[in-house]
Amino acid sequence: MAKPGGKRRGMEALAGYGFMSPVILILGCFLLLPILYAIFLSLHKVNLLGHVSYKFTGTANFERMADDPRLWIALRNTAKYALIVVPCQTILALVLAAILNMKIRFRNFFRVAFYLPTVTSSAVLVLIFMWIYNRNGLLNYLLDAVGLPTYNWLGDPTVALFGIMIMNIWSTAPLFMVIYLAALQDIPDSLYEAASIDGANAWQKFWKITVPQLKPVTFYVLVMGIVGTFQLFDQSYIFSAGSGGPNNATLTMVLLIYQYAFKNMDMGYASALAFMLAVVIMLITVVQRLLFKEDKAN
Amino acid sequence: MKRKATGTAALLLSVMMVASACGSSSNNGKGDTASPSGSASSSAQASASPEASQAPVEVTLAGWGSSPEEQALLQQVLDEFQTKNPNIKVKYEVIADQYMDVIKTRLIGNEAPDVFYLDAFEAPGLIEKDVLEPLDGYVTDDFDLGDFEQPAVDAFKAKDGKIYGFPKDTSTLALFYNKKMFADAGITAPPTTWDELQAVSEKLTKKKGNKVEVYGLGQAPELARQMFMLNAFGGKLADDQGMAAFDTPEALQGLQLVVDQHLKAGTAGQPSDVGAGWGGEMFGQQKAAMVLEGNWAIPYLQTNFKDLDFGTAEVPTVNGKKGTMAFTVAYVMNKQSQHKEAAWKLLSYLTGKEGMKTWTSKGFALPTRKSVSAELGYDKDALRGALVAGSSYATPWQAGSSLPTIMNNFNNQFIAAYTNKSSLADAMKKAQETANKEIKAGS
Repeated sequence: MAKPGGKRRGMEALAGYGFMSPVILILGCFLLLPILYAIFLSLHKVNLLGHVSYKFTGTANFERMADDPRLWIALRNTAKYALIVVPCQTILALVLAAILNMKIRFRNFFRVAFYLPTVTSSAVLVLIFMWIYNRNGLLNYLLDAVGLPTYNWLGDPTVALFGIMIMNIWSTAPLFMVIYLAALQDIPDSLYEAASIDGANAWQKFWKITVPQLKPVTFYVLVMGIVGTFQLFDQSYIFSAGSGGPNNATLTMVLLIYQYAFKNMDMGYASALAFMLAVVIMLITVVQRLLFKEDKAN
Repeated sequence: MKRKATGTAALLLSVMMVASACGSSSNNGKGDTASPSGSASSSAQASASPEASQAPVEVTLAGWGSSPEEQALLQQVLDEFQTKNPNIKVKYEVIADQYMDVIKTRLIGNEAPDVFYLDAFEAPGLIEKDVLEPLDGYVTDDFDLGDFEQPAVDAFKAKDGKIYGFPKDTSTLALFYNKKMFADAGITAPPTTWDELQAVSEKLTKKKGNKVEVYGLGQAPELARQMFMLNAFGGKLADDQGMAAFDTPEALQGLQLVVDQHLKAGTAGQPSDVGAGWGGEMFGQQKAAMVLEGNWAIPYLQTNFKDLDFGTAEVPTVNGKKGTMAFTVAYVMNKQSQHKEAAWKLLSYLTGKEGMKTWTSKGFALPTRKSVSAELGYDKDALRGALVAGSSYATPWQAGSSLPTIMNNFNNQFIAAYTNKSSLADAMKKAQETANKEIKAGS
């Protein structure tokens, strides 16, 4: 194309932005502005109830974090939760996907059945699980039937978080299973055929072909898993009726932010915490990226 | 699922921010246009000229959800009010969950109802924030201020003596006991001292193997129910500055009784130990022979557990002194209300002699006016007598504006001690430190 002159390009750009304007406006209003406003709030002491006031306090809200024992409890809970849930749900998703990728009977039925937990509303799931976890509920009944000790799943601080973990692994794994399933079907059959000719067994094929081929998808699943686990809110909120109890056992980062924002009405500190959470998630993602890249270089 | 949740949370946050932004700007607008008296000095407005008597005024009233029977009864009171005041229309809203979070958020967004319920325990916090309308200027002789039970009104008084709300109803805690279980165990009368309570709990607890099937006493390990135990030996929850001050030997002595009966004697448990949601349910399902509950449990038990034969008695004495908790709820008026005259008419009708009489006539709630109490005769009622008697010595569920923070930390740590995860002394020390840190940082 010969140089059509700056005017035409300008017009094109204008038309382009014109078409994009609805998205830009919506994202700007509901994504960008709130983020900027949250950063603004995090540097202020905010009083919204009654006499509205914003007092600039610099980094006071961030300094306060170091001396907030509940923040460290929430971080520890969240980290513990992520460390257990992310590997479990990733492995479970991979295994489920591998099973569904095989030529088994009633494959479509299993696909639907496995995916159901993900399409069910999480509030409903939590309520159902609270029945299962009831002192006289299904889980304790089963544990009792096979002679294992039973727990007060809802009231005992040592097992309360564990209960939420089980529930979440069960409900989130199918989402990642679908992603894995799509990726599995992208792996060319020729690779498996070649391996068969070389005399590889099923396990070797899985370990040497499937898993390495799935690496980019695994990266995605891990990142999304970690982001999701760090943002755990609704389950622990319903589980503990908003308190994070028993004994702070189900207090997660987002629940803590919610408590500061809407119970204590301390928007400044809550925004600072939210900002900190975003930074933590970003850091973890960057570290993961580096790890995965290193592997690629080898 | 989790991603959806964050989306919702983010949306909520952004909506809130937009709402608060709009709120503050429209607030400025209102000051100039809508209200003629400008920055609304309440007492001046009280005697202001009758506002537009032709056009019907809509007043919103909000409260938390309750049983269908109670809802119907309140609707009946509201209907009566509307027939008497044809130019006022009442819009009644139920806030189903997290009542205070919703109310505070709506107050910020200038979308709050004109009149709403307020629990005494949250009252100092809201009064301090200056979002409630002081009501002294509206009170007339007809309203008969002196008729209220004094402690119930005091709960909604600011430090400067202004009244911000009038109590709609109240309840103390009483000992509910299962008459059949008592008869089976050969116990003739409900316990009157804490030692007796522990002794009969022993007899009433039924075990199957290691598992407890029926606890002698159902406990609620939370501050709202245990504050009187904390006070029993001279302990107190907070000092004059609103800082937590319950980590004292006196306070621990009372709380230790609660914890020991669960851990050492094994004759008391919390509802979730037997798969129940709260004390009333635990008692109704006959998994506890005794519980300490309030008036709200009576209609609940009567409708849901019709065969249950139960009685009530005053809470047994601790350390030789009578004690119990008192819970009071008031109607308050939003300071930003556009229809204060109409809102006051509604509020004064609901807490007036006539409205309160209808509202408390079925026993769902206990009246806070002496004249209504005397007329309905609840002090002589077989089930409610013990609750009425408790009001003279009850600890009100209130302790300054920092109580929500103290409560949250207390509850979290108390459960740790209650489930034997740490000693009571350690738990309370930690709770007090954390609470005071949070109060200091927040102020």
